[in-house]
Amino acid sequence: MTQLNNSGAANGKAKTTKSTFSRETSVAIQIESSSEVVWALLVNGPDYTRWNSTIVSFEGTIGERETIRLKSTLDPNRTFKLKVRAVKPEASMQWESGAAPFFKGVRTYQLDTLADGSVVFTMTEKMGGLMFPMAAGQIPDFTASFEQFAADLKSEAEIIRKLK
Amino acid sequence: MATLEELNQSFEDCKGQLKSYLLRITTNADDAEDIVQETYLKAHATIDGFRGDSTLKTWLFAIGSNLARDLLRSKKRWPENVTDICKSAAMSNQAFFGEMMQVRSTSEQGNFEIKEHITFCFTCVTKSLPLEQHLVLLLKEVYGFKVKEIAGIIDNTQAMVKYYLHVARSRMTEVFDHRCALINKEGVCHQCTELNGIFNPKQNAQEELAKIEMVKAAEDKTKEALFDLRTQIVQSIDPFESGAAELQLRHLKHNDEVMKKHLGED
Repeated sequence: MTQLNNSGAANGKAKTTKSTFSRETSVAIQIESSSEVVWALLVNGPDYTRWNSTIVSFEGTIGERETIRLKSTLDPNRTFKLKVRAVKPEASMQWESGAAPFFKGVRTYQLDTLADGSVVFTMTEKMGGLMFPMAAGQIPDFTASFEQFAADLKSEAEIIRKLK
Repeated sequence: MATLEELNQSFEDCKGQLKSYLLRITTNADDAEDIVQETYLKAHATIDGFRGDSTLKTWLFAIGSNLARDLLRSKKRWPENVTDICKSAAMSNQAFFGEMMQVRSTSEQGNFEIKEHITFCFTCVTKSLPLEQHLVLLLKEVYGFKVKEIAGIIDNTQAMVKYYLHVARSRMTEVFDHRCALINKEGVCHQCTELNGIFNPKQNAQEELAKIEMVKAAEDKTKEALFDLRTQIVQSIDPFESGAAELQLRHLKHNDEVMKKHLGED
């Protein structure tokens, strides 16, 4: 768990950078809740469809080396099969798909705790590889979906914090 | 920080609540009884270590909760449609029905009341929650402990207690809204009124239902408010002391046996 002194540009607005062989979308948002609650929400896969309006269905367990299957509003007809990696409780984890060097996607979740106890949640997805230029036109823009994911997580975690 | 006399008094004061809590966790009256006894023995043996960080009641619930966890940790949780599965099993078990009718006609605690069945149903369905969520939901919504006290009982942070409580409440609110025909005309489960027709054939079920606040409020209140009214019914009934206790405990034993078989644990 990283201790930060301020939230930087954690405004919930997604940003995308593109090159010929890769694309990266990132969003960061400040959440007035504890890292353990935010983390609990992020690793409770079967609960995603309740609070996360960008997830249509979810199967599997979110844990190191586990495989998960999910459908997203980005493409509800497609099931994404992802491998969970680099799980550091209350700090970060990655979901990976594809295989380098042809096409690989890595989504990274990161939590940073600020001095006031609130949390900056950052989600970044980097896709790239030799085949990327051919597929790029068919991959939807992540901006709205990323912003919604971050907003839903913030809303849910802050509701929990306010419980008496 | 506490004398043996104080422990004995606290144990006597909360023994009934502890036993009903443990029944609702284990769904087995013998297990609940055993854990209550074990809780006292453990408390008696370790009273010198009680530092007074909590009340004795909270400490006793912590010991009981830990013993229940030890018992249940390796066991599977029940499915949300537990009452459907157990109903099918009961329909093909004439001996069970005969036994229930016998209890109904001979026992002083053999009455059938819809409210009691709502409580019974709550016990069965909430066992579909993950164990920690189940403990937290009961401790907060039925036994009235504060978040801070529950954190002490389950040895976790207040933030996680709030998380478990929120997820458990959200889940159960949805399940009852989807299943319970008392609050939702589209609900798939009518078991309480069906059983009322069997056990109280001369009674007007609609008149009985009209006495239940949760049913009266079904069309006006949110599903969250209806869940609160449901937990108020559960709070009001002691499953060992009520007028339907023997009937409902026999029914619960049946469901416990059916689920053990269903989950491959018998």
